[in-house]
Amino acid sequence: MTTKTRRSKSGDDQIPKLSKELCNRLLADLERARRPVLYATKCSLDNALYNHKVGFLTPGDKKVATELNVSSVKKMSRAIFMLEILLRNIDTGAVNTKRELYYISKGEIKHNPMLKPLDFSDQPESDATIDFICEMLECYREELNCYANDRGGQTYSQQLVVTETLPDGDQAVIDLSKLGTSPFQPKNRPQSLKLSARKKIDFCLIIESEGTANTLVANGFTKRHNCILIGAQGVPSNAVRGWTKLIQDQLSVPLYFFGDLDAYTLQNIYRTLKAGSAASLIRNSDYSAPEVRFLGVLPEDIKKYDLNDYPVKESDAAEGRALKKAADALKNDPFFQDKRNKGVAQILKWLLEHKRRCEQQAYFTVDPRDPTMPEKIIVEKIKRGNYV
Amino acid sequence: MTSAKKKAAGPKASARSAAKTEKAETEQAKEIARSSKAGNKITTSSTAEYFSKNLQQVGFSSQIKATLTTLKEAVDNALDACEEHGILPEVTVVIEKLGAGSIKNSDQVRIRVEDNGPGIDPDDVPKVFGEYLASSKFGRGRCSRGQQGIGISAATTWAQLTCASGAKVTTKTKAMRKAVSCVVEVDIKHNRGVIKNRETIDWDRPNGTAVEFVFDGRVQLNGEAGLLSYLNGTTLVNPHLTLHYKVPDMELQTVERVSQEIPQVPEATEPHPHTMKLGEFIAHSHLFGRVKTGVWLKRGFSRVTDGTLQDLVKGGIKSSMLEKSVDALGEADFKSLFTAIQNLQLMAPSTKSVLSIGEESLSKSIRRLGAVDFFSVVTRKPTICDFKPVEVEVAIARLEDRSIDPDSPVQTLRFANRVPLQFDKSACAIAQALTSVNWRAYGLAQPKESFPIGPYIIAVSVVSPFIKFKNASKETIDASDELVEEIRRALIQAGQKLSKHIRREEKANELEEKIRHIEQFGPILVHGICRIVDAPDSRRTKAEEGLRKLLGRDAEVAEQELEQAHSRLEAQKEKEASRQPVVEAIEEGVLQED
Repeated sequence: MTTKTRRSKSGDDQIPKLSKELCNRLLADLERARRPVLYATKCSLDNALYNHKVGFLTPGDKKVATELNVSSVKKMSRAIFMLEILLRNIDTGAVNTKRELYYISKGEIKHNPMLKPLDFSDQPESDATIDFICEMLECYREELNCYANDRGGQTYSQQLVVTETLPDGDQAVIDLSKLGTSPFQPKNRPQSLKLSARKKIDFCLIIESEGTANTLVANGFTKRHNCILIGAQGVPSNAVRGWTKLIQDQLSVPLYFFGDLDAYTLQNIYRTLKAGSAASLIRNSDYSAPEVRFLGVLPEDIKKYDLNDYPVKESDAAEGRALKKAADALKNDPFFQDKRNKGVAQILKWLLEHKRRCEQQAYFTVDPRDPTMPEKIIVEKIKRGNYV
Repeated sequence: MTSAKKKAAGPKASARSAAKTEKAETEQAKEIARSSKAGNKITTSSTAEYFSKNLQQVGFSSQIKATLTTLKEAVDNALDACEEHGILPEVTVVIEKLGAGSIKNSDQVRIRVEDNGPGIDPDDVPKVFGEYLASSKFGRGRCSRGQQGIGISAATTWAQLTCASGAKVTTKTKAMRKAVSCVVEVDIKHNRGVIKNRETIDWDRPNGTAVEFVFDGRVQLNGEAGLLSYLNGTTLVNPHLTLHYKVPDMELQTVERVSQEIPQVPEATEPHPHTMKLGEFIAHSHLFGRVKTGVWLKRGFSRVTDGTLQDLVKGGIKSSMLEKSVDALGEADFKSLFTAIQNLQLMAPSTKSVLSIGEESLSKSIRRLGAVDFFSVVTRKPTICDFKPVEVEVAIARLEDRSIDPDSPVQTLRFANRVPLQFDKSACAIAQALTSVNWRAYGLAQPKESFPIGPYIIAVSVVSPFIKFKNASKETIDASDELVEEIRRALIQAGQKLSKHIRREEKANELEEKIRHIEQFGPILVHGICRIVDAPDSRRTKAEEGLRKLLGRDAEVAEQELEQAHSRLEAQKEKEASRQPVVEAIEEGVLQED
């Protein structure tokens, strides 16, 4: 007997329903002394598909099977135990981090000695249990009311207004133009937010370096241009990814990504923002913005603006790994193999060939006395369509 | 030694010759120069003088080592003597602390070793205990423990230097009516033993020797370099030994022999020409006197045949030379003959001269080290390493004693010609072979490139008439690639045998774990599921039954696996038992007679 779970669309009532279905099937199998098998989507590059019409990486048919046997009975018992806690949270609307859930489970076990064999010796064990539940239910942990620390995505705009519906039904309206130089921090699960513009917004610029985003705002970028400016803070978190998707869907403004010219940025940061990642195949639909374009730094910018670039140190472990991964991506990553993404694939090839890199801050070398020089270049590039 | 003296005098002489030029060749300067030349006289010192100044080279480099080396030399001699004369050894060792020693931080230690050996002819006593390089075994090419005749004289010297008293010896041969007791000291100037306080006494035994040393040293009982490790090791590789010992802070212990067989130390074979140097080659010829060169080669060496002689002639040696008497050969003749032989392909030396303890005896002996769960022993066939015959034996046992720290490295016992090696482990061929084996494959934990860990004893014995030691104190075996590989193979075989025991145990644990799992998690899982779907008790009971059936099937599989592992182990045991039926039968016979 095989137990399959399939989820059409996310929704708060979906998880309890799915969980009950799953448990019912498990119970039915057990009553007949049949071995239940749980199938979870295989989240890896070899099970990732890309179609430019869809715009993000989607899961293929490969599944990971977990059969109930003597070796897996502990894992399953733990999963059911944790699922019960999570369902209670969903029911009451309480949210927790993974660490808090670790302590909640500890507390449960403390008060019920019968559960002692389930005890987690450290947090990685309880984290693995939560991840296993997500795989079984094909959901992401935010749907189980388990949130991570919000990181990245600090947003500046003189035009954007955010309306948040709170769990109790109240509405909060945030006008970003009233925040001064303070940014707006999007949540890890931005789906409960509604966006509107006080004035027509021309574009949204996502900047890899949070510091550079801050500099541009301080120098008056958002005052001079009707735009949204986001600092990504490295590899985009769920907050950044969901937030970008929300802007794309609700405001229909062109989105540009501006970051370093190197293999890591292109393949890890930009690709994740635009099409999601292999590890998050299940939730790429809610956490990717396929319309984002790569504004730079482009290889041709180096020549055009005489930017300071430098060779990649292959002896450096991290950089060597990034290059190796890039070569691998060109061969195996369906995103880079798609014709529509030829532009970014070519940049990756250029990087592998020339083994040089150029940072986003290099625009400051163009005219060291003019603090608005990077702004001018960025705006000029957008105007001329100088992006990929 | 003499060259060192010359060097030491050198700077003095040059300083004085500088003074000579400064003082414009006065008569006085000439006088000084003359006298300095007289001081440069080359002298010869005795072997005893050399060793008395360099005792650290022969195992007396620290006080702990001094105690151990003294004990070791006395016991080695006792065992060698018994073996030579076909006596089952019974040795009594008494080690006592008498008080503070004369050296700072030392104890005055008395070691007494008494054996039931053949006894020593009183005329030989000073030679044995008081003369360096006086040995009945030197260069004979046999697997005896002692070889050069340095050790026991060095022990006498140490006692003499630290406590001003030599070795107290009591000995009696079968031919003697009364025993002789005396003190032997080394006459260091002349490398001669000197007898003092000789008296004739009654001794309640037909034959035997007791030797007693009082010296400054320190007594360390535990640890790899400890006295107990030495005594344990010695009993392990000498299954035919009965040992009584009394050490400080312990009662008298007796370890009974487990084998009634006296090891027959094989006779030495003739030397192999490829193991010789030119000088040795020529010296060897002098033993034969007036025989034809061809005959000398055939009789005096192993693996030299008529075919070899023909090959020599083909290789350019005149056949007339082979017909010539060997004492008529000139140096040039020897040289050309020697070179020609070195260039020939000869059969490897015979392995007949090595001695083995045997798997049977080792299996019995290893149980004397303490309660063991299980063990495996391997005796490799004798083989040739670096052109010398070698035999490697390995015994691995898991101790029942669970108080040992499970993360501490295994206890290793190293033996060369049945003598425990206890110092400078890392440089030893045995240690290198041990760390090169992947023990994890056999179920032992092992940090990368180091010794395996756990409550195990791994004993490795290397026996060869020509063991290459790294130093005169015989602490480490030189790690040549061939020898390390041979030891490694023995260890791998023993590991494979051991793994069958460990696998069986793992399977048993697995089964236990699985049954425990079913009992623990089954109800929790079903209860959890039922709470989520809000199921009635009837469904819960049924599901619990179903789950038990399911997991019970898993447990059955585990049971089958355990059975398989068990039968594999039994098969191995049977195979081992059938391999030595003869020895078994003999021993049973002996036991019945007893």
